[in-house]
Amino acid sequence: MSSEKGRLPSCFADPFDSGSQLSSCCCGQIHSHDEPGAEPGATASAPGPTDSEGLLVRLVESSVTRALFGGKELPRRAFMRAMGAGAALGLVASVFPLEAAKALAMEKIGPLEKKNVKVGFIPITCGTPIIMAHPLGFYAKYGITEPEIRKASGWAMIRDWAASGQTDYTHMLAPMPIAMSLGLGSSRIPFVVPAVENINGQAITLRLDHKGVKEARDMKGFRFAVPFDYSMHNLLLRYFLAEGGVNPDTDVQIRVLPPPEMVANLKAGNLDGYLSPDPFNQRAVYEKVGFIFKLTKDLWPGHPCCTFAVSEKVAREAPNTFSAIVRAIIDATIFSANPANRKEIAKAIAPRNYLNQPVEVLEQVLTGVFPDGLGNTLSVPERIDFDPFPWNSMAVWILTQLKRWGYLKEEIDYRKVAEQVFLAGDCAAVMREMGETPPEDSYSSHVIMGKEFNPAEAEAYLRSFPINRIS
Amino acid sequence: MQTPLLEVDNVSRSFPVPGKKERISIFSNIRLKINKGEFVTVVGHSGCGKSTLLNIIAGIDKADTGAVLLKNREVNSPGLDRMVVFQNFALMPWLTVYQNVRLAVRAAYPDWDKGKIDERTRAYVEMVNLKGAEDKLPAALSGGMRQRCGLARAFSVQPPIMLLDEPFAQIDALTRGVIQDELIRMWEESGVTIFMVTHDVDEAIFLSDRILLMTPGPDARLAETVEIDIPRPRKRREIIEHPAYYAYRNSIIKFLSGGSAPVPPGRSPLTP
Amino acid sequence: MKWRTVLLSALIGCLALFVWQMATMGTELPAPWAVLKVSREFLSDPFYDAGPNDKGIGILVAYSMTRLAAGFACASVCAVLLGVLLGRQPVLFAALNPYIQILRAISPIAWMPLLLYSVKDSGLTAFMVVFMASLWPTLANTAFGVANIKKDYLNVAAILQMSPAKTLLSVILPAAGPTIVAGLKISMGSAWVAIIPAEALLGSLGLGYFIWNEWNNLSLTSVVFAILVIGMVGVGIDFLFSKLSKRLAYTD
Repeated sequence: MSSEKGRLPSCFADPFDSGSQLSSCCCGQIHSHDEPGAEPGATASAPGPTDSEGLLVRLVESSVTRALFGGKELPRRAFMRAMGAGAALGLVASVFPLEAAKALAMEKIGPLEKKNVKVGFIPITCGTPIIMAHPLGFYAKYGITEPEIRKASGWAMIRDWAASGQTDYTHMLAPMPIAMSLGLGSSRIPFVVPAVENINGQAITLRLDHKGVKEARDMKGFRFAVPFDYSMHNLLLRYFLAEGGVNPDTDVQIRVLPPPEMVANLKAGNLDGYLSPDPFNQRAVYEKVGFIFKLTKDLWPGHPCCTFAVSEKVAREAPNTFSAIVRAIIDATIFSANPANRKEIAKAIAPRNYLNQPVEVLEQVLTGVFPDGLGNTLSVPERIDFDPFPWNSMAVWILTQLKRWGYLKEEIDYRKVAEQVFLAGDCAAVMREMGETPPEDSYSSHVIMGKEFNPAEAEAYLRSFPINRIS
Repeated sequence: MQTPLLEVDNVSRSFPVPGKKERISIFSNIRLKINKGEFVTVVGHSGCGKSTLLNIIAGIDKADTGAVLLKNREVNSPGLDRMVVFQNFALMPWLTVYQNVRLAVRAAYPDWDKGKIDERTRAYVEMVNLKGAEDKLPAALSGGMRQRCGLARAFSVQPPIMLLDEPFAQIDALTRGVIQDELIRMWEESGVTIFMVTHDVDEAIFLSDRILLMTPGPDARLAETVEIDIPRPRKRREIIEHPAYYAYRNSIIKFLSGGSAPVPPGRSPLTP
Repeated sequence: MKWRTVLLSALIGCLALFVWQMATMGTELPAPWAVLKVSREFLSDPFYDAGPNDKGIGILVAYSMTRLAAGFACASVCAVLLGVLLGRQPVLFAALNPYIQILRAISPIAWMPLLLYSVKDSGLTAFMVVFMASLWPTLANTAFGVANIKKDYLNVAAILQMSPAKTLLSVILPAAGPTIVAGLKISMGSAWVAIIPAEALLGSLGLGYFIWNEWNNLSLTSVVFAILVIGMVGVGIDFLFSKLSKRLAYTD
């Protein structure tokens, strides 16, 4: 902690005061420059010289403004001068759930606006924290005593539920809230992601008679299925094929199918393979129709898959509920990350009310000890893992791939979109409160199939792929 | 001269011919007057327009020109004051005998309570000798019984005038006589005025006070009036022995078969 | 004679079971015995409630039936009233008839995306799908039935000076009753056919939900059980309508 007596660290400086300096930072997540700041975490809980709650509020506001202006000082100051601090705060609040973010940062959650929160989920292991938080009591622990955990059969259905307000909080594939916020594949509704659910946990499954397939090149002419256009499954499968020299748009067919139908179609011979969420990869092994060709963790270790998403409007209108449920989900996600808890979780989510799957299959997925369908039993503990931190850099990667494959045509500010949708700072604050150590910076470079992605060079990265659909 | 209960004043009716500009006249300038308590019958060939005339009086059909006056007031629409007995009975097939009669009673006396409606209904069902068949549907009844039900429905409302449209045409000959006797008894007891159309000459002579003869259409006219001066009560078997009976009958049939109408014995024709 | 029919019917049933058994032997398709076992399991506790996504088959049938009844009732009231209007206005009927025929030919499920997008509520959408499925046959039949009511009945109503409402209730509806009920029966059939996929596509609790939830577990045996339940409920509904149409039938 580097704060000197009598002088506030800059993160406590009022960001709506055009005279204050924001450049040195102590919150550590949302700023762009990598100067090692003060010890993060300590500031949030340490009482400042003035009223600690007021300071906290200002801290959050400052992070948000910084997020909006991308850490650039000049436009922010000009903006504040032009608008006046109060008006600016109002304007910022109108595009960002500021109240919700403030509520999130409070250690004590205010009275909940509603206790019967409706949460939509898809019955797959990716949604484990959202689902098991119900039978294992995580929602109740944070005061949400009457959650209604509603099962949806497909991503389009869950998107429509979320868009029409039939559910408040929703289990979504990581690219979905980004796509919805940009108005891709639906009407434009701003969504935010306060927490990621799972990392890894997907696989490319091939039909048993493709045992001889060794690499992407052998897959030309294949018919594949993915669960949704705006899914990591689609983006990773395309990436994998393209890295192997196979054009996913011309050399193979990729169709959207609900996962149970993938298994049935694999059996019927209508599909050669799919990249799908579990348990449907393991289910193909269980049904003796397919084998696990490649775990997605071997394409991109630690890639995000599913997220916990909420419309900006719902978060803004019920900030205390938002704060409580996000804590419940992050707590549940941290609990799920512990391998020792996995068997208990498998049992809790197997019943008909949740996944409606054999416990055996779920255990194989969650513990990572599984038959691969080729006669081997593998032990890959990190086959699926859980980590709530919504890396802004991963959101940027998703945006580059959406552009690469022609889903996103307009020019966008990668970081702005990434930071508006993926609430890295808020998640980090809650994680810290729970004794975790979230990353210092919400941007990092990632290595996907041996190729490095630098979020600062997103456009150059996008242009570096020989196989693409950029018009 | 007393005011007639019903007056048909200069009524004409025509219908369009497809593809032609002019219309064909069914009848024109019909005038007739019926006094209270009279039983007046129009006799004419099938298709001469007598049913159309009845329908116009009933308000079911509309005249092109002229007017129908009941108690000196023009009537244009159907009403409970001109109950119709139909050739094909027109009973509601989904209602029992009792329900068919009650439907009329309820319509005529909307402010009556259930008991009073039931009482009136039962009385008229009994009057037409349908006791025991109250709960039968029309489909389960013979033609005669159905028309009894039709009569009970018309009488139960106690209208000032009843319009009978070939009421016995679909009833077998033996039953017909019985029901005609019943009709006369009820007519006498109730004092209702009856306007009937038929093509059956014997039936007309037996029942009517006055018979109006209608010429065949198109452009039919009411040509003659025959007063039936045979004292009542008339007995079916005795009436054919009445000296004037065959004279009436012959002159009417002669008229209907196209000849001129001789003056019935002892009477002079009344010009309408 | 009657018991010979019963015997023949039973024989055909046994034959069908035998063919089913033979056809599924050596495959993973559910055999009659497996379905019977699953059925006993589901039917032994039909009204359990283990959370918002897991309820007994009895409760799910009740959900479907409630949805069906609500949509069907509303559609039937609308269809009958509109049908009476069209039946009494031949020109309007003739003008609208082509459109009715087109709308009638559209699968109610085809409306679903449009409905979902406009009403933004899956429960209401399922209701509207049932509504759409139930509307047209009843409308067409009512209009036809009313247009063909014997003139005499309406004349009697006019002579009895019945009010329009009284004429509707005492004469027009009973006279057109058998035709209307025939329409209602077709409507109910099409609504029952539509509600299963609607529930499956919308995720609304009900028999359709049961099917996809079991399908999600690739449990074909349960799916076959659901198929049987759907069939039985359909037969039950049909039976009720046969009773109703018998009650309303009349001979002239």
